[in-house]
Amino acid sequence: MSPLQPIHVAFRTVSKTFPDGTQALKDVSFDIARGAFCVLLGPSGSGKSTLLRCVNGLATPTCGEVFIDEQAVTDKGLPQIRRKVSMIHQQFGLVDRASVAENMMGGALAEIPTWQALLGLYPDHFKTKACELLQSVGLSPEHLQRRAGDLSGGQRQRVGIARALMLDPQIIVADEPVASLDPRISQEIMELLRQAARRRGVTVLCSLHQVALAREHADQIVGLQRGVLIFNAPVENLSDGDFSDIYDQEPAA
Amino acid sequence: MNPPPLGLSQDARWTYPKALSLRTIGLFCIIIAILLITGRNVEMGRMVQLTASAVSVTATGQGQSQVADGLAKIGSSLWPLQISETTEIGRIDSFDRSRLPWFSHIETRTEQTQTLNPETLQMDSVSETAEYLVEPLGYLGHVAVKLVETFEIALWGTVIAILISLPLAFFSASNMAPNRLAYTVARSIVSFLRAIPELVSALFLVLAYGFGPIAGVLALALHAAGFLGKFYAEDIENADTKPQEALTAVGANRIKVLRFAILPQVMAQYIAYTLYVLDRNFRMATVIGLVGAGGIGQELKGRFDMYNYHHVATILVGIFCTVFVIDQLSARLRRRLF
Repeated sequence: MSPLQPIHVAFRTVSKTFPDGTQALKDVSFDIARGAFCVLLGPSGSGKSTLLRCVNGLATPTCGEVFIDEQAVTDKGLPQIRRKVSMIHQQFGLVDRASVAENMMGGALAEIPTWQALLGLYPDHFKTKACELLQSVGLSPEHLQRRAGDLSGGQRQRVGIARALMLDPQIIVADEPVASLDPRISQEIMELLRQAARRRGVTVLCSLHQVALAREHADQIVGLQRGVLIFNAPVENLSDGDFSDIYDQEPAA
Repeated sequence: MNPPPLGLSQDARWTYPKALSLRTIGLFCIIIAILLITGRNVEMGRMVQLTASAVSVTATGQGQSQVADGLAKIGSSLWPLQISETTEIGRIDSFDRSRLPWFSHIETRTEQTQTLNPETLQMDSVSETAEYLVEPLGYLGHVAVKLVETFEIALWGTVIAILISLPLAFFSASNMAPNRLAYTVARSIVSFLRAIPELVSALFLVLAYGFGPIAGVLALALHAAGFLGKFYAEDIENADTKPQEALTAVGANRIKVLRFAILPQVMAQYIAYTLYVLDRNFRMATVIGLVGAGGIGQELKGRFDMYNYHHVATILVGIFCTVFVIDQLSARLRRRLF
């Protein structure tokens, strides 16, 4: 990734304090270039999820702002922003009792009129798109009818990725997409996410626990510890010491 | 370096919480005390004594028992069931002899009655002959028709209850209500509907709509709407939030979140509640018939007041069979859903 790429997502002195007084983020500022694969590393409770949720307005920073294409993320602009930003979840965020077909349509809801959605009359181009995407993540036609809850963890996250691509997002935020999967499946899923993003030129902001996966797939790595940004660099500039630092330090009592 | 010793370290005190704390024992004593006091008020001691004597009298055949006598009397007056129906032909309007109902026949009965002859001032024995239409399964058929009518009342009570409770449930689920006011109002309506027993609202509705099924349907629907509204709303509140958040993140509005993230999760449970309500409505429909709200209950009340205990027995058996069938069918349906 060349440093000349235009900035796509920018965090500017983002801080978040929850009503119970815990400070999840403290003055976090960094940029992500268009099309970059940025991985957030940090121990549990370091504010990774909160930072991701600030991008699509699921959380609102107490102060500071997030910019997407030089536009600040505000409550008023959320509908437009949510069409551009898709999300992939740690627990997949699928409805277990609903079919894969129905879960896929969940990803396109912003573009389907309410009454059509209620009656289950999905536009044909979305149906075609859902099938194409499921095929591209390695699922087969018989999976369409199956309940999401009957699939394996890896398959569910494949559906999660396919669903995130339904509206051709410009940005994907992925909140520990492989945290509940075994190492081999994790590798496959990260590979899939990486390829899908690169092929479409999608900017990815992904939080992870596995340093190895981060090194392999990321262009840029951002380290968070107790809500503070401790490093932000292209992957090749980071040493083993930098990685061990994030996890080694005991959180202050 | 020595390995750390096995067993618990001495400096940290590991103690498991006790199973019975002083608080649990105290609470237990309070509950026992409450049961003892209230039990005296509702004559539980006498109940045990009467039941025991009834059992011992039945087993040994000696002595007297008020309860055993009462039960025996009821049993003998209920048995046998009334299956056939006999009607005096003179009372049937436009009776057509050439076209009798199925399986029926005409019986001629002669009855001797003693009457006072006004001229001789003597008791004369007068024989009266009347023709009767006898339908061997007539009363059973009548009960079946009434049971179907009762089921129809229960069914419509359930349908209207669903229609009322769905919007109420939406507004009385804290995660769906648009604002605090709508939530409070919806919650209050739901509690209010549930607080009024069917029998009571049926009494008033019979005054408003007159005797017949309308009052019954509405009475059942109002109470069941309160019941369903509460349970539907609680399921919406307890639904897994992760899919809801996922859909919110892609820009779905409240209605779409309800349809795509919540409804699939709660649907099976909703159908289970609704089947239970249908079952319950059928049983309640037989009771509210007692106050004139149509169905088998009205027939039951009439027969009971006329001391036609054989008819009452047939009705009771009919109700039991229908409840059993509904129960079996809904259990089968539920097993399919989960």
